[in-house]
Amino acid sequence: MKPGATAPKPARGVGLAILGIAAICQRAYLTLWRQPILIISTMLFPLVYLLVLGNSLNRQLRYIPIAVVDESGGAYAAACRRGVMALQSGRELVNAAFLADREEALRGLHRGTYRGVWILPFRLSPKGLPPTFVGDNTDRFSFDALDTALRQIWDEVSRGEEAKNIVSAVRLEAYPYLDYLTYLGPAVVCLSIFMGSMVSGGLQVLEDRMYGYHEGYLVTPISTGALVTGNVLAGTIVASLAGMLVLAAVLMLTPVSVAGGEAVAAGATTVFLTSLAISAIWFLLFARARSASVLRGMFGIINALLFFPSGALYPVESYPKWLQAVSRVDPLTYGLDALRNLLLRGSSPATAYADWVFLLTFALVCGVLTRVLFRREI
Amino acid sequence: MIFRESQALEPLFEAPPFLDEPVRPAPAPRASAIEVDGLTKRFGDTAADDAVSFSVATGETYGLLGPNGAGKTTLIRMLTTLLPPTSGTARVRGRDIVRDRPAVRALIGTVSQAVTTDENLTVEENLSVQGKMYGLFGRGLRRMIDRRLAQVGLTERRRQVTRGLSGGMRRRLEIARGVLHSPHVLFLDEPTTGLDPQSRRSIWEMLGQLKSDDSELAIILTTHAMDEADFLCDRVAILDRGRILCEDSPAALKRSLETGERTHLETDRILAAVDREAVLAMGGRNWRSHGETAIEFQSRPGEGIGRRAAQHLEERGYRIRHLTISPVTLEDVFFSYTGRALRGE
Repeated sequence: MKPGATAPKPARGVGLAILGIAAICQRAYLTLWRQPILIISTMLFPLVYLLVLGNSLNRQLRYIPIAVVDESGGAYAAACRRGVMALQSGRELVNAAFLADREEALRGLHRGTYRGVWILPFRLSPKGLPPTFVGDNTDRFSFDALDTALRQIWDEVSRGEEAKNIVSAVRLEAYPYLDYLTYLGPAVVCLSIFMGSMVSGGLQVLEDRMYGYHEGYLVTPISTGALVTGNVLAGTIVASLAGMLVLAAVLMLTPVSVAGGEAVAAGATTVFLTSLAISAIWFLLFARARSASVLRGMFGIINALLFFPSGALYPVESYPKWLQAVSRVDPLTYGLDALRNLLLRGSSPATAYADWVFLLTFALVCGVLTRVLFRREI
Repeated sequence: MIFRESQALEPLFEAPPFLDEPVRPAPAPRASAIEVDGLTKRFGDTAADDAVSFSVATGETYGLLGPNGAGKTTLIRMLTTLLPPTSGTARVRGRDIVRDRPAVRALIGTVSQAVTTDENLTVEENLSVQGKMYGLFGRGLRRMIDRRLAQVGLTERRRQVTRGLSGGMRRRLEIARGVLHSPHVLFLDEPTTGLDPQSRRSIWEMLGQLKSDDSELAIILTTHAMDEADFLCDRVAILDRGRILCEDSPAALKRSLETGERTHLETDRILAAVDREAVLAMGGRNWRSHGETAIEFQSRPGEGIGRRAAQHLEERGYRIRHLTISPVTLEDVFFSYTGRALRGE
């Protein structure tokens, strides 16, 4: 041994644990740096999701083809027809065809030419027969919209002159107008966290096991707790990086109302804590898994179990009880709640504290369970 | 076929090479680096390792030879704390491999058959990550990385991403990774499997260099390359079906065989029956004739029977056109213990 080249004294105990955690994170960070495609693909999926889903579900329904069959020819029927024409020229909800033959109209309905048929029968009057709506309920959205609009026309027509004196109910929107694209913003940030933690955390752990890299960790004196922590944090780095980039994109692409820099910082914190919780789930799931085919099977299930119950696409309150229960333990629910408050409602960071506490607790519980399940042997 | 005059044969009449090996000075009694005592691992009904015992001294290189499925890798995994033994104990520098795992892990370095370098990281980064896992950091870590890179000859490549390295360079990096934290015992699981002859040779030389830099380092290696074991190991154990069949220095093992030294001899005319009998009487065995004038036989190693046979024939008036005496190899030893038949696992 050369003079002055004596072996350095290595750290032990807590120092070793911190060094080990830092080393695992360093590797994740470097891998990411060498493979930018990882982070790009992680971000691309949620952003495409945002743009495609947001824009396709965003618009008001328009130009729904319907047939109106006037068998009455009376004054009420004429008023109904005027109502439909107003619907067509005003909100552009429908594209109406006025037919004389009920059979022809129904055949058209079954062929898919019309989404609905409105029949104004022979004795149409408020005291005689009401109009009949036959709708194509394979398309629930169009069916409901048509049903509501046509009902409204008949209500007005049947009430006659009196209707004009009724003041319509007061409706106030608490926040500036939100289109669906904006509504989806926080959900998409959560989706990118989910993707990021899967690609870097879950998949990386499995690949390390399969190719044996993991063995290189197991034979070192680092404690198992530090090993688990390091791996969870490594997944968190990538997931929260993806989440924050998508958050920035959402801030730029959609007209969100954020209450200043503090709220943005709180949003970033939420992204980090959500990433931590989700990475902890992946590592817990794969604490004993051996091959990457496990992931292939799990991905869809976990996606469905985490993303949809969180209320990302649809309000949680409308779920059945069991699904609401899933939603209550789903970390994405809390991440999403905090992000929606911060981004859409312009709330102060304080509204996010409770969500943060849940996310942190969730990550800790998962971490402890992983530590228990984790095997130091191969 | 090259024909040589018998006079030119003199240099070949020397004793087989292993007898020429300088007798290594008997090592002063040293602390044992590792002591294995009745180590057993069962998977269900089958014992992968069945009461294996041996010990390796500080600075010694110990080879575990055996066919596939002999239990070598299981043994290494137990000793590197990756697999709990069913029964038996082992101690690394006095530390128990079951009760005192963290201490054992700090004392050993491993180079396994698995790929333990991240191909997205550079040579230097791989070592930096590994070093931290052993508690090295800062200047101390950088100094060790520099030193190990120089030892394995990868200093020039330190900033290269590992994916671009050849198989041999990658293995050298893994060895650098294994000794980065200056372990007392280094485990090498088939260190040169899958490498070309140049890379193998350079790894052997590198390991020799490593040992001369750190005389305390004990190495335990598994291999089924006999030349490798012969070149590297102070002692070898032949392992089969979970048991150690024999254990000694390569030279002693070779010397212990009854046959194995091969003599190829070609004369200028057909050998008379009486001369053939004379050679057999000297100790020639497994006699075979190739054509009319070429013969081959085996004999007990180290007794110069091939040489004496050739001398005898020359005295009887034959001219020796060609003579080759092949010394016993470790492979002969291996086959004599494990048999040649292929077996289903």
